[in-house]
Amino acid sequence: MKRRSFIQSVPVVVGGVTVNAYGSSPMLSAMTSALYETDRVLVIVQLSGGNDGLNTLIPLDQYATLSLKTVRENVVVQESKVLPLAGTGGKTGLNPGLTGFQKLWDEGRMSIIQSVGYPKFSYSHFRATDIWMTGADSNEVLNSGISGRYLAYEYPNYPVGFPNSTMPDPLAIRIGGNVGLGLQNNGVNMGISINNTKDLLNLTGSVFKDPANTATYIGKELAYIREVQRQTDKFGDAVELAASKGKNLSTLYPKAAANGAPAELGQALGNALSIVAKLISGGLKTRVYWVSTGGFDTHATQVNAADHSQGAHTNLLKGVGDAIYAFMDDVKLLGLGDRVAGLTFSEFGRRIVSNASGGTDHGAAQPMFVFGAKVNPGILGVNPTIDPASTANSNLPMQYDFRSVYGSILQDWFCVPDTDIDSVMLKNFQKLKIMQDGNCIPTSVHDHNAAAGENLVYAYPNPFVDRTKIKFESKGGHTMVQIIDNQGTVIDTLVDTYLAPGKYDISCDLEMVPTGIYYVRLQNEQIQQVKSMLKVRG
Amino acid sequence: MGKLAPYSGTFTKIELAHLLRRTLFGLTKSNLNYFKGKTLAQTVTELLNVPTAAPAPPLKTYFTRSNNTNIDNIDVDVPFGKTWVNTKYPATANPNPNGSRRISYKRWWTGLQVQQVTNIQEKMVLFWHNHLATEDSVTEQAFLAYYTNVLLRKHAMGNFKQMVRDITFDPGMLRYLNGYLNTKAAPDENYGRELQELFCIGKGPGSQYTEDDVKAAARILTGWQIVGNETINGVNNVIVPYSKYTLSRHDTGEKKFSAFYNNTIIKGVAAPKAGEERLEAEKEIDAMLNMIFNTQEVAKYICRRLWNYFVYYEINDDIETNVIEPLADIFRTNNYEIKPVLTALFTCDYFYKSEHMGCMIKSPADFTVGMARQFKWPVPTDPAKFEAQYLAYDSIRNFTLRQGMDIGDPPNVAGWPAYYQTPSFHEMWVDTSSYPERKSAYESLCINGLTTSANTFTPESKSIPIKINFVDFVKEFDNPSDPNALINEAVELMFGVSVSQSIKDSLKTNYLLLGQASDYYWTDAYNTYIANPSTTDPEGKRVPTMLRDLFVYMQSAAEYHLC
Repeated sequence: MKRRSFIQSVPVVVGGVTVNAYGSSPMLSAMTSALYETDRVLVIVQLSGGNDGLNTLIPLDQYATLSLKTVRENVVVQESKVLPLAGTGGKTGLNPGLTGFQKLWDEGRMSIIQSVGYPKFSYSHFRATDIWMTGADSNEVLNSGISGRYLAYEYPNYPVGFPNSTMPDPLAIRIGGNVGLGLQNNGVNMGISINNTKDLLNLTGSVFKDPANTATYIGKELAYIREVQRQTDKFGDAVELAASKGKNLSTLYPKAAANGAPAELGQALGNALSIVAKLISGGLKTRVYWVSTGGFDTHATQVNAADHSQGAHTNLLKGVGDAIYAFMDDVKLLGLGDRVAGLTFSEFGRRIVSNASGGTDHGAAQPMFVFGAKVNPGILGVNPTIDPASTANSNLPMQYDFRSVYGSILQDWFCVPDTDIDSVMLKNFQKLKIMQDGNCIPTSVHDHNAAAGENLVYAYPNPFVDRTKIKFESKGGHTMVQIIDNQGTVIDTLVDTYLAPGKYDISCDLEMVPTGIYYVRLQNEQIQQVKSMLKVRG
Repeated sequence: MGKLAPYSGTFTKIELAHLLRRTLFGLTKSNLNYFKGKTLAQTVTELLNVPTAAPAPPLKTYFTRSNNTNIDNIDVDVPFGKTWVNTKYPATANPNPNGSRRISYKRWWTGLQVQQVTNIQEKMVLFWHNHLATEDSVTEQAFLAYYTNVLLRKHAMGNFKQMVRDITFDPGMLRYLNGYLNTKAAPDENYGRELQELFCIGKGPGSQYTEDDVKAAARILTGWQIVGNETINGVNNVIVPYSKYTLSRHDTGEKKFSAFYNNTIIKGVAAPKAGEERLEAEKEIDAMLNMIFNTQEVAKYICRRLWNYFVYYEINDDIETNVIEPLADIFRTNNYEIKPVLTALFTCDYFYKSEHMGCMIKSPADFTVGMARQFKWPVPTDPAKFEAQYLAYDSIRNFTLRQGMDIGDPPNVAGWPAYYQTPSFHEMWVDTSSYPERKSAYESLCINGLTTSANTFTPESKSIPIKINFVDFVKEFDNPSDPNALINEAVELMFGVSVSQSIKDSLKTNYLLLGQASDYYWTDAYNTYIANPSTTDPEGKRVPTMLRDLFVYMQSAAEYHLC
């Protein structure tokens, strides 16, 4: 935080004007804050398939039970091969593949949260993945991801008027695969996806500009594709520039196949993370990076029958640990250590009792790993107690709700204030001490980000009791204003007509619906903007 | 329940083009001409009439090359250019042929799409592959993936219930969802779960099966193994893999299902008569499938998926009540025969509503295979050039893969997210990483084309250029020498949606008139070129380039991604 204290105490010259107090002038804030406040990065590492948490973070004090024939005999790692975590009194250890995580632990760059889950877990890969991405309750379907909602909170006008001087870069980048529900907000991709740093395009001056009436299916899809074309173009330069300026300094990334030698474990994940490191060092202000790696659905032969410390699951973890360690090494060498934090998650853990296939079936709670120089090192929670009478249906009881983890990171790393966190998480969750204190100093950065881009629609007053006014601007042509609840259902269409360009306002009566968060969506030809609004008790 | 209203309007070229875009990969001029003048009923009957014979199997076109010499040392028991599906692995498996066989399998499948006959078969095989998904990279043995594909082909337009029954015992599926490891001692829930969650019941509002139902289903499915699943170095005397049942691995106890299944109880036979062990186990599975297919949900779930695949992803109350429910009724009444449902769908009023035309985002297969077919990408037809054909199919396969659809290897058992992930569905096919891949695919295919290697194994396939001839493409048009007619017809074929006259004018002026004002400029140039393709006339000789530039530019339109 040295740079910020410098700004706070020393007069700064901006454009020939000397100003004394940081934050006292919106203009100064606009010109300086972005550089200093938006530089926090969160890297989300998704382990697809359902990671066997009990063979990842291993409760060494439960071995008598774990080794029982009726419990985990088929997959349990030999006690002597477990990597003990220093300071736990020999009670907790890591899978032998996780040497990378053990090093991060020893260096004080790892926070571990035991038995993370949510009530009424789902065993379905797809439903459970959606739940982890959206933060929904298990009986609830949400159309937006937690990260997507956070980015929409931080940059409410996105994508209209973006990129701009405040945010010239993508808000989030997914390396490999689709942008995904996690980075969406009500159907709007809040991030972009890239496979590497060289495949972005230049699209200019197309004649194909027929108006897209987004009230029709065709118009909606045309507008969608044009938006992707536009994003491919507008962020292409920024990403390419950052990639050309950025670099990697670590030599530890798992190596690609070469000269007949196969690729090292974790090579693909390491490659994705090296792109992340390169883009951060190249100056992108992107906040969230998302990478994923699969193969964790270990129903069968997750360990070698003859040596449980080896096998498919150990190899997967070895790859994850080595790739993440290399990435952390890289950001440290690049001088970015204080700006980068990351976490791993999987859609569920696996059952306590192993099956006869030498594997484990879909389960519930699992440990989460949060890494970075600014995490609060240590373990939250206690080793689970394994019941010797566990049956094929037994699951680890949850100690922490995963939404507590996300919410705490958003508050203590991205500095979302107490007053606003519920509008991102949609509910109130227990706060956990995952990040170190002192990461957040109140500033007006959020106000500044919130003003970036073109503000074409908003509710006023907001929060409101029963009734509010929707103020919106049409650029002309077909214009639609809808009210949507937090499950994505359109509960009212206030405007659906052709309008002349101009500013309008219309009253919005939500007396009959429960309190909570709602969204107002403006669709005006190819423009779409979604804003949140909060109904509160009077 | 509402009845499905039949389409009662005139069956014009617009409706025909819409029907063909959705049931075939890519709309071609020759397909349009072929069906011209036929009624809707005739057209649908013909499109849904698929061959029952299995296509010729995949061929060996792999070899190694070292020191500038081609060596036929992979899969030595299979002659080059012959199929490997009826030959076991060689005794010395070095180099290992399985990876080569798997690629051969995927090239073969892509080839069937590219060479599709004018019926719905390939679209349906892909539909079922996405619905009853297996991943070639997980089943690993090329045999398994191939025979699962044969199964899907066999039932693609047959009976859905029979298809589900058959795939339950399919070695590829047994391997993919761990059925072969599912035993009484340790039931593995994988197949029992997906049978309900993904294959039959789904997670719609009416789906009420429970976790205990998953467990009960898993118990019914215990005891099955695969013969012919040996790894490459194992002894494999089995050419066609098959399933095997072992009584001692099976849980013969009572399985009780939830109220959703009317509290059905299915009992096994603890001591079946000798020789009837497998029969008894199949009876349990049949009882379970009957129970599942007796719910209302199966037909609704499948019809929703068909709507999603063939029409659009949004299913509002109107569609649910007036399309899905009556379609599901037809499905049930016809004992889960697929053809009556699709006949009803493609002849109903809703299918031809203008709002449902041109609103699908092309899948990667639609995009690349459709492009190759539409522009008459000239894959050699001479059987002696099979190696060149497989190389051509492989480049299409690669484009499709890079756009996010690895045929044979969906991301997981749910298939591709574009077919199930709310709220974006098929919008997921196009994003900032796949869009550039689409662009590079059409640029590669339309600008550079492909030339086969100079080092092919067979001389017949050496250095063959496979390049789109845009003059041949427009020659089929009704009136290609008229620039207005040419643009109209190109828009009709390439875009799922019409574009304004000002865009057409601008395309004509920029690409066919090269900035000139008079239409005869194009007409003269075109006629000059057609009269003599080696003309030295400065305008005439530019015709191929002008056409290429026009079509590549049209491919940059968002409209080109819709069908």
